[in-house]
Amino acid sequence: MRRVAVLLLLFLGMSLIIPLQEGARAAGAQSLLIFGFLVLAAYTVGELVTPLTLPRITGFLFAGMIFGPSLLGIVDAGVIAELEPVNRLAIALIAFLAGAELRWRELREHIKKIFGILTAELLLTFILLVGTLLLVRPYVPFLQDSPIVEAIALASLFSAVAIVHSPAVVLALLTETAAKGPVTRTTLSIVLVADVVVVLAFSLTLAVARAIVPSDTAAALSAGAVAWELGGSLIVGAALGGAVALYLRFVERELIMFALIIAFFGSEIARLVHVEGLLTLLVAGFVAENTTRHGAEALLKAMERSAAPVFVVFFALAGASISLEAVAAIWPLAVGLTLVRAFGIWGGSYIGARLTGASPEERSYTWMGLIAQAGVAIGLVVVIAENYPERGAEMQTLILAVIAINQVIGPILGRFALVRAGEVGKADRDEDEEVPAAAGPPASGGEPAEA
Amino acid sequence: MSAGLILVLAVAVAYLAAHVAFDWLARRLLLVSGAEYLILGILLGPSVSGVLSEETLSGFAPLTTLALGWIGAIVGTQFFLPGLVKIPGVMYRLAFGEALGTLAIVAGALLPLFWYYFALPWQTALVPAIALGAIASVSAPTGIAVVARRLMQRGPVVRQLQVATAIDALVGIATLGLLLSIHHPGGLAPGYRITPTEWVVITLGMGVTGGALFHLFLGDDSTLDRLFISLGGAIILISGAASYLHLSPLLAALVFGATLTNTSRRREQIARTLQNGERPFYFVLLIFAGASWTPSLRAWIIPVAVFIVARILGKIWSARIGSWAAGQTRVLGRDWGLALLGQGGLALALALDYVALENAELANVVFTAAIASVLITDVMSARIVQSVLAPLLGVRRTSAAQPAVEPTAAEER
Repeated sequence: MRRVAVLLLLFLGMSLIIPLQEGARAAGAQSLLIFGFLVLAAYTVGELVTPLTLPRITGFLFAGMIFGPSLLGIVDAGVIAELEPVNRLAIALIAFLAGAELRWRELREHIKKIFGILTAELLLTFILLVGTLLLVRPYVPFLQDSPIVEAIALASLFSAVAIVHSPAVVLALLTETAAKGPVTRTTLSIVLVADVVVVLAFSLTLAVARAIVPSDTAAALSAGAVAWELGGSLIVGAALGGAVALYLRFVERELIMFALIIAFFGSEIARLVHVEGLLTLLVAGFVAENTTRHGAEALLKAMERSAAPVFVVFFALAGASISLEAVAAIWPLAVGLTLVRAFGIWGGSYIGARLTGASPEERSYTWMGLIAQAGVAIGLVVVIAENYPERGAEMQTLILAVIAINQVIGPILGRFALVRAGEVGKADRDEDEEVPAAAGPPASGGEPAEA
Repeated sequence: MSAGLILVLAVAVAYLAAHVAFDWLARRLLLVSGAEYLILGILLGPSVSGVLSEETLSGFAPLTTLALGWIGAIVGTQFFLPGLVKIPGVMYRLAFGEALGTLAIVAGALLPLFWYYFALPWQTALVPAIALGAIASVSAPTGIAVVARRLMQRGPVVRQLQVATAIDALVGIATLGLLLSIHHPGGLAPGYRITPTEWVVITLGMGVTGGALFHLFLGDDSTLDRLFISLGGAIILISGAASYLHLSPLLAALVFGATLTNTSRRREQIARTLQNGERPFYFVLLIFAGASWTPSLRAWIIPVAVFIVARILGKIWSARIGSWAAGQTRVLGRDWGLALLGQGGLALALALDYVALENAELANVVFTAAIASVLITDVMSARIVQSVLAPLLGVRRTSAAQPAVEPTAAEER
């Protein structure tokens, strides 16, 4: 309550400050002022929801929604747009960290299980969503007037986005809960591999859809461009990861700074050469982790040190971006599709896990970690809107509504799964057991000096 | 392969080469690192390679403001009153005399130059002259700390230099903060014009209120990660508020840091958390300062040269006169002011703070002078400090080939 009272005072203070100034430079600085308030507000709401056994991420999202354009309007669309570079940096850091979590040795050991569950859940969810959309076609705005072939193409496009998971949410949850175990590993591996698979599948679906339903704009991408976007991401990501590995081998200094530079330049290079930024950083993290002798452990620690504030910022802004009006306008359809998606993920995961001999815990709980959706899905839906401005906009509203619901229930279900699987806090316990061997006075004599 | 990618790769290789080469030079020749990030920023900026476009730079302006706030808060945490009262009063007198003397000499030398060279009215020329005076007063603690550790010495001279760098920072930040309040473009609250005194009160009030509220907000929370988030939020809020009102984020954050360090039971954790984030923010500031610079020698070479010479003379004379007046020449020597010649990143922070001022007069002259001074003095500061300290401490001159001690984050300023 003390923090809520302080926030209220800060809010009153802001209300006094804002009328004191206006003018050309005010807009950017106002964003910073509001951004600071949002960080504190998200942090406070994150703390408030913890006693309710909800993950902090949900609190950050709630804070974003409360103070975002849909409700109180303190964080308006302009502020969200101005903070885009910070958001991009956050996504880049998350993607790099996510890629580095994939260890080739572990991946190879469990590759059958990962691909089994992944294929089954993606296929089943995709088919169920397409089928449902076609069944309720008269009630779906972007399908109402389309002939059946076009409707199938557009429904496939919708479903290709709706099957996307969220590595950011899973990674943030794992950091928050310090979870470790088979469910943790399988969930993380699936969301990370799924990211690559889904982007590929989406690009193929988009190419097919454009052949059936010609794009409304000249912004349409050629097949070659799509191929470059994906292949190029792998090449650029691998080169970046190789450079990181070399740095760690020969320099290994100023790691926090280096982590920021990598994240920033990774996304800038991706933008410059027109490749998928998220995939590029994901591959870079994967290559860096798997080509250095002891892994990119020191760099990852430096990145993780800055990950906590990054998650607050990222999820608070994601919450602020949720359009509650859009959800309210089409909630019956959105809720229905969310349920179908959840059923598809559950059914597919269960079938895949059974066929590949996964443990009972993995069979029962992995699907819950796959519900959340965030950045990638939003990014893909923007691509659709660019190609089909009219029908794409209607599709965007529906997908954003589905994402909004999944964004709220995803972290809650994910945390529940980790608790039920008994994996929460295991990473901390493992580290504690390792501490005595590494204990001793800091090399710098106790001064806070970075490596 | 696109030209853009080749450029980025070239810069990445240059960064690595510069870093490794600079590291080697630092060890061999007692150089203090930091300037390479400034050079990297210049290479990346719109003036040279254009990898960081104007648009990207303006998109990351909040990060620069946050870096300013972070640095201001760290400077503020040095002013823990129970610790300050233990320091002899003569040290403060000497430090304030040196800082204010340098400020007066530099501003005094530049005022007529700006009036004549740029044909500015006296009142207008006074603003950049005082801004450069404030920048001139700050000194880098890096060289002093590195040499003191290298010579394994403490004592009155080292202590005096440490007090002087803290007071220099205070004087520089306070002067520029007051200047921004006095030379304020004006409040636009309908029907009421806010006076300069009121702007000063608002700047200080934001820091004090922010510090007090944050003290309540923190409560018993002492986890470093959580402290980092909440401190980050508070500093963003305060520096954002100051920037929004066209005031100095550095001064508001300095007051915030000082208030917090004097009221919180978690003083040490707060200081540690701030120091953990300092080095990245400091380098971010250097890179963005370098990238924001528009190089031009045509009209500015004379003012920049005058600034550097006036600063050197100011530091030496004011320190010399101060120690003579206080009867401390035998203890501190005549040239202890020479050890304060290193500028450090705070000078760039002040320059960025000034440049952010709406319609800042001679903004690029001020910025160029700060950058030139940092580039010149940081390279040689540790060697000068050694040449000043070694005879005073009675230490035999150590070999330059001896490995230098790596400066800590706090010393990098």
